[in-house]
Amino acid sequence: MLTPIDLTDAQESSLLGRTSPIVKLGVAVAWLVGLALTLEPGPPLLLAGLAVAAGLTLGRVPPRNLARGLAPLVVAAASIAVANLLWSGANTDPSATELARIGPFRITREAAEAAAALAARVLAIVGVGAVFAQTTDPTRLVDALVHQARVPERFAYGALAAYQAVPRLAEDLATLRQARRIRGLRGWHPRLLVGLLVRAIRHADQLALAMDARAFGSGPRSTFRPIRWGWPDPIVGVGGLVALWLALVL
Amino acid sequence: MVGPSGSGKSTLARALAGLVPRDVAGEWRGSLRVGDLDVSTAEPAEVAARVGILFQDPASQLVMDRAADDVAFGLENRAWTLEAMRTRVPAALGAVGLGGFGRRRGTRLSGGEQQRLALAGVEAPGPAVLVLDEPTSNLDPAGAAALFDRLARLRADRRTTIVLVEHRADLAWPLADLVLALDGAGVPIALETPARMVSRHGKRLAREGIWLPDDWSAEPAARAGQMPVSIGPVTVGPVATPARSHLVEVHHARFAYFRGAEPAVRDVDLGIRAGERVALVGPNGSGKSTLLRLIGGLLRPTAGSIVVSGADPRRLPAPLLSRLAGFVFQDPELGFLADTVAEEIGLGLDPARVTGAAGLLERLGMPLEQFGERSPYRLSGGEQRRLSVATALLRRPRVLLLDEPTFGQDRRGWEVLAAIVGELVEEGTAVVAATHDERFATRVARRRLEMADGWVIADDGPGAAAIAAEPVRVSSA
Repeated sequence: MLTPIDLTDAQESSLLGRTSPIVKLGVAVAWLVGLALTLEPGPPLLLAGLAVAAGLTLGRVPPRNLARGLAPLVVAAASIAVANLLWSGANTDPSATELARIGPFRITREAAEAAAALAARVLAIVGVGAVFAQTTDPTRLVDALVHQARVPERFAYGALAAYQAVPRLAEDLATLRQARRIRGLRGWHPRLLVGLLVRAIRHADQLALAMDARAFGSGPRSTFRPIRWGWPDPIVGVGGLVALWLALVL
Repeated sequence: MVGPSGSGKSTLARALAGLVPRDVAGEWRGSLRVGDLDVSTAEPAEVAARVGILFQDPASQLVMDRAADDVAFGLENRAWTLEAMRTRVPAALGAVGLGGFGRRRGTRLSGGEQQRLALAGVEAPGPAVLVLDEPTSNLDPAGAAALFDRLARLRADRRTTIVLVEHRADLAWPLADLVLALDGAGVPIALETPARMVSRHGKRLAREGIWLPDDWSAEPAARAGQMPVSIGPVTVGPVATPARSHLVEVHHARFAYFRGAEPAVRDVDLGIRAGERVALVGPNGSGKSTLLRLIGGLLRPTAGSIVVSGADPRRLPAPLLSRLAGFVFQDPELGFLADTVAEEIGLGLDPARVTGAAGLLERLGMPLEQFGERSPYRLSGGEQRRLSVATALLRRPRVLLLDEPTFGQDRRGWEVLAAIVGELVEEGTAVVAATHDERFATRVARRRLEMADGWVIADDGPGAAAIAAEPVRVSSA
């Protein structure tokens, strides 16, 4: 999850691959806002399925890669649903309809419905997010944010550089824990965060120096990777909104 | 530019690039001119147009995800046209030996490749002055040689003024027209041609703890007695009588960082006796650090087993492990656990040993009265490494594991480390040091283990016969 995804040439030249990340982000946000209008589990499930189907066909995402990206998130969605099913407040409400009793747990219809709606919603977020990640190169996302959405350059390119440091911080944390163990202390301790924070700040400082020394932020920039709106953008944008409308109406 | 650890070389290098005092807090006096431009007050863009700087740590200077984009980053900032960039970027990559690497991700390159990629990015806009701040200290010998190759060609072109901060006097001085030497307080000793610097100021430089070119070529053990730095008795005697059984036994150990990954250690089988001193050599990524961590019980082998002093180090409770094994990490900062040097030393330590700590720190040139209240994170790189060595030594571990202990050490720090490791061995501690520093390997070790791609491919130790009997396996990759 922490390392960048390598997109195949087929993925990059697919319809979704050529769509501006801004349009894809816009559709994703519209879907999630639209889903807030309904409590039914149907529409989010439909949209999650649609996102995955679009990723496989319009995005040419290899099914294995999508499955690998989705698997841990689906497990997380399922555990959220189970936890909500078992510990929902509705279960203690005497007026709620009892569906089943498993050991100490009383499960009611109201709790089951709420859990299903929640799970469907999490699945929709997960599906849309995975398809977005599998069709969008991080550099292209940042370029689009800067050139098409007018996000400040300092923020956008700084974030891209910081993103590359994430795997490194994970390694640093492992080493910090090992350092505690070899000095006779237990592995986990809040103090670890201090060490990690020092590392993160040092890294950010160093990176800022390197960026400044390379004349970043000194005036107007040109771009090595021109980015333009194209015909996939309106198609995906309009198609996405139509799909949302259909999912909510049906 | 040369000087002992903490003499201000990096600060001066950054000032040349206009980053001090602009981006670094502190007190600044005087002026610093590059050509007719006072870089201490000029606009960042004006300075960046003339001066490029390459830092020590390759990974923290790469901004963009892909190699070509990173080289283009500095050109975009100067508003180069797309056509000009499309010619310049591949040329800059080709010049540092990374032709065809444009689409590769910077995070997936080796340290040496990352450093050359960073150099391509700094070079691409064609700065008049190129400042390099210890660019090879994180690189293996092959990576350092590739970087110096490029510097030699830049020098031959005579279009760029190069300011190089570098401990490797043997590589740097032959390329230099002039050497600027700073003393411990940051005061210039002299600015001379390399030959005159050696003949006129050689003794002074050695006294200051500055490496001279000959220090790297001569036979280190032969010169041990005539070192001008006084550090007490240096005990480089014969190997202490080895115990009959092994202190460390590694049986067909294999380790991969995650399932399905290429193993970092493939199939290592070896024994190390008490009091044995072993140098672990090989390129970056050959598995040296992983093997050290396996022996230190910090990683669990994917297959095979490790026994240290009769126990599986991975299963030992931390307090017992800490008396068995000591570890000095490649990046000493990751080993620090406390807010001050004094706390760092005392942490988890038997109070009876704390008294010994003062003496040890004194020898390491870091007296407790002066350093005790300072934050470990605020020390210079050389001091940090010596502090982490001290914390590992104070427990008197049976086996001391060192990961690149001499990185960035000036001559004095180096001598003290070598001497202390020698004494430890006399007392029966086994030392295993992963190192790119050939002089340290020759001076301190009596056995040399060479690793490549996760295998031990050469071992000249007493138990080596067993390994030599098997054919040397080289990966098909």
